[in-house]
Amino acid sequence: MQLGFLVDLHLCMGCKGCEIACKVENEVPLSTWRLRVKYVDVGMFPETTRTFTPLRCNHCANAPCERICPVSALHYIENGIVNIDKERCIGCAGCVMACPYGAIYIDPETQTADKCTYCAHRIASSLMPACVVACPVEANIFGDLDDPASNISRYIMEQQGDVQVRKPEKGTDPHHYYVGGGNVSLNPLASRREEGHNLFGKLTSKMPVGGHH
Amino acid sequence: MHGAVIDATNAVVTLDVGLPGIVWGWIIVMNMWAKSIGTGVIFMLFYLLKKYPNEAGYLRFPLTVVSIVFIHMFLFFTVIDLHQIFRFWHIFFHPHWTSAIAIGSFLATAFVGMIFLLAYLSFIKKDNAAFDKVLTWTTILAVPVTLYTAALMAQSTARELWQMPTEAAQMILAATLAGSATTLLLGGKLPYEAKRDLAVILGLSAVAAFILYMSELVFGPMKAEEVAATLEFIKGHGEYTTAFWIGQVFAFIVPAVLVTLSVQNKSTGLLTLASVSALAGLWVAKWVWLVIPQLLSMS
Repeated sequence: MQLGFLVDLHLCMGCKGCEIACKVENEVPLSTWRLRVKYVDVGMFPETTRTFTPLRCNHCANAPCERICPVSALHYIENGIVNIDKERCIGCAGCVMACPYGAIYIDPETQTADKCTYCAHRIASSLMPACVVACPVEANIFGDLDDPASNISRYIMEQQGDVQVRKPEKGTDPHHYYVGGGNVSLNPLASRREEGHNLFGKLTSKMPVGGHH
Repeated sequence: MHGAVIDATNAVVTLDVGLPGIVWGWIIVMNMWAKSIGTGVIFMLFYLLKKYPNEAGYLRFPLTVVSIVFIHMFLFFTVIDLHQIFRFWHIFFHPHWTSAIAIGSFLATAFVGMIFLLAYLSFIKKDNAAFDKVLTWTTILAVPVTLYTAALMAQSTARELWQMPTEAAQMILAATLAGSATTLLLGGKLPYEAKRDLAVILGLSAVAAFILYMSELVFGPMKAEEVAATLEFIKGHGEYTTAFWIGQVFAFIVPAVLVTLSVQNKSTGLLTLASVSALAGLWVAKWVWLVIPQLLSMS
């Protein structure tokens, strides 16, 4: 079994339901996110569009975070999920340095690394991840990539040519796919970040999110 | 500003989370800087005892103590950088052998044992022959201890600026630079020839490290988009441009110039200044190189 995610960006409307569901389900502390939706505005007024991109751990087959972790706190489980043992984590932040997707953070409450686990605890009880349940338009598609009859496998087959992963050049082999993505939504270097001009608050690139530094 | 881009490609992130700040900061710089001195003096002691066994013999114990002090400084900063300091022992009981951190921890521990053995042989047993034999193995072990941080930076896949084998070369050069500088500061009684040798090591290390940094600065952006974006922080009016050049000037240019003048004039007076400049500048150079990749958003 190899569990994976696919987000159809044609369907996502940026409601952030998945983000909130994840926060509630996993008790993610304030100022940290296991899953978040990035907004990018493209064009010039009045010819503008807004893209929405849910971002979470990619559960890579060749995960740099798993490789760099000195105590195997980040480890694979049999269904392909890269899970984290917070009791074992020493908080060296090697994984934060290694993850090319910025998906790992230091939990300010436990002072250990944390990230999306595809809701491994729910999957163990045969439940879907919280973000999948919350999505009103079924943009999040989750399932077994090894099963050709699964929803995700069939979706990938149907959308061939429009299925992408983030930063394929890193050689991480992500198990998280996007349909309808483009350079702007998937490449962080393709868009500008202007400090102090973000929606819903003044989030700046220097905002501390925990840790002792 | 908007005139510089085609309207259709003008893309601005209007909502995302902030960067987590500098996760590896000055504490890790202290770690690397202290380790460069701790292993570097062992390299220099090995060289001096091979080439000037009689004149440099008095440095056996002092340089061993310097190594012990700086390696423990390195270990101290390694541990206090952990967010869970009291779980450090997990590395020894749950080691993950693909991790440079785990391998480095065992190597550093073995190195600590070796330098304490050197201290015992020089201070208590006063057995120079045994000391020199153990020093050979300690010097060999000092190589991977010096290099493992480069491996760790190479494993930091997200930070494209930190490439192998460049980081490996920079780590070794930092050790020879810091080791020769520290030995020059402590080796006042060494004959001129020995000081000249140390000065040449210092000067060549500085020149080689400077060439590597400049090569990355000029040619790195031509190969990788992320490297280009990272190096913008130290180019032009970049946030860290001034700090970068302060590091380069004090760590490499000033020592290289002073060493050249010193060797030409057969005068050792300038070497103290060259050594202090190299040690101070190295800290700044390492700090800038560590911090700038962390300023780039990964999403």
